[in-house]
Amino acid sequence: MFKSQFSTGCLRLSAISIFALAMTTSHTALAAGTRAGTPIDNTATASFDGPDGRVELPSNTVSITVDELLDVTVDSSDPGDVATSPDADDEVLTYLVTNTGNGSEAFTLTADTARPGDDFDTALVQIVLDTNGNGVYDPGEDEIYVAGVNDPVLEPDANITVFIINNIPADAEDGQRAEVSLTAEAVTGTGAPGTVFDGQGDGGGDAVVGTTGADDDDSGFFIIQAASIALVKEATVLDPFGGTSAVPGSIITYSLIATVTGSGTLENVIISDPIPANTIYQTETITLEGASLTDADTADDAGAFDGTAISVDLGDVPGGQTRTITFQVEIDDEVTP
Amino acid sequence: MIRKFFTILAAVSAIFSAPALANGNIALESEIFVERITKTAGKPAVVLERPTSLIPGDRLVFVVSYKNTSPTPATDVVITNPIPAAVRFQETLDGSEQVSVDGGKNWARLEDLRIALDDGRFRPASPADVTHIRWVILEDITNGDEGKLTFRGVVK
Repeated sequence: MFKSQFSTGCLRLSAISIFALAMTTSHTALAAGTRAGTPIDNTATASFDGPDGRVELPSNTVSITVDELLDVTVDSSDPGDVATSPDADDEVLTYLVTNTGNGSEAFTLTADTARPGDDFDTALVQIVLDTNGNGVYDPGEDEIYVAGVNDPVLEPDANITVFIINNIPADAEDGQRAEVSLTAEAVTGTGAPGTVFDGQGDGGGDAVVGTTGADDDDSGFFIIQAASIALVKEATVLDPFGGTSAVPGSIITYSLIATVTGSGTLENVIISDPIPANTIYQTETITLEGASLTDADTADDAGAFDGTAISVDLGDVPGGQTRTITFQVEIDDEVTP
Repeated sequence: MIRKFFTILAAVSAIFSAPALANGNIALESEIFVERITKTAGKPAVVLERPTSLIPGDRLVFVVSYKNTSPTPATDVVITNPIPAAVRFQETLDGSEQVSVDGGKNWARLEDLRIALDDGRFRPASPADVTHIRWVILEDITNGDEGKLTFRGVVK
């Protein structure tokens, strides 16, 4: 009986290393894990019947401290390219910085607007921390980031929204993209995974660089969505005799063809045209896309005539669309051909 | 017959030197090792080290060694090891243990334990639920007998 118990013990001992080799499986990426500085204390207790009755005997206590793991992730929060236009100021890209380590850690933030491979570079205005935590850039309320002064300190698993504010150059063209990246680096240090910073860990232990290298970056993108409008004016003449001569009494029908090009949308487009000298506007002759409009300047009707010029409110016109406006005038009787 | 003899011997010893033996006659030592993966000639190899510090995800091997250092036998030996709060229990080497998932109140084989869910139903207990582990050693441990008990865990 004793022999078998004893040999089992020996087997256990010799099998440790073999067992270990079999377990070289994947390292699970724990988000934060046990907080840095936490001691792992282990004490076994033997309970047995000795000569003096039941005995409870504790072993020594092994105490090992959990080090700080330095890990961070940066992710762009914008769902896709952020539309902007040439010469626009204070355009915002949004990022989320998350401490995926297990200790309280400060992070240095850097913006890079000069990424290779994109079409143009924005001008960096500033990096702003979402200090009121609402996820939206609030100028004057959210804190402007200054490296080394207000590096955000994040608890394990905590995150902060960071805004990069940009000015768009005037010479950026429709359809061009700009890449802007945000980098976060652990203030304690960065490097290859496993790099150790002796005694610099949160909680008094070492700090160890985790799988992210203790730094990360991600990019957001701007896309220029510009639009321009071209106006063409045409005239057809109908004289009183059924011909096309421009004589007193002839009716001139003007057509204004507005063509919007580009990937953007022109907003609140209003087309106006003064009535030429020596002609008389023919009332209620404004049309838009073949439909009649009134001369009265009312909210529910796009047309208007103010006595000297007609105007049509086209509202928002996306790129690639055309609007045709017509109106009629009569050549004044007093004009001598 | 043998069992009786040991009991009598123990009683005799107790009379003659009770104070010296009152603390018991088993030496118990706890050790923690960590698996580090090293690359030797391009091939990964696992080595066990005595860590001075740990990081989340580290794989630990706990070794509890016992030895009877006295002339008197210990009977009905039970060795208990609470799992440290920051460690997730994985398994023992040979499965000879009993475990508890309720802080040491109830003990059984892991496959016989279950965890109550909020909706009144139960699920089977998993290694991550284990709070305590113990070994019940059936044989008496007499002078010079020793053994090692091991289990594995991961730093949470």
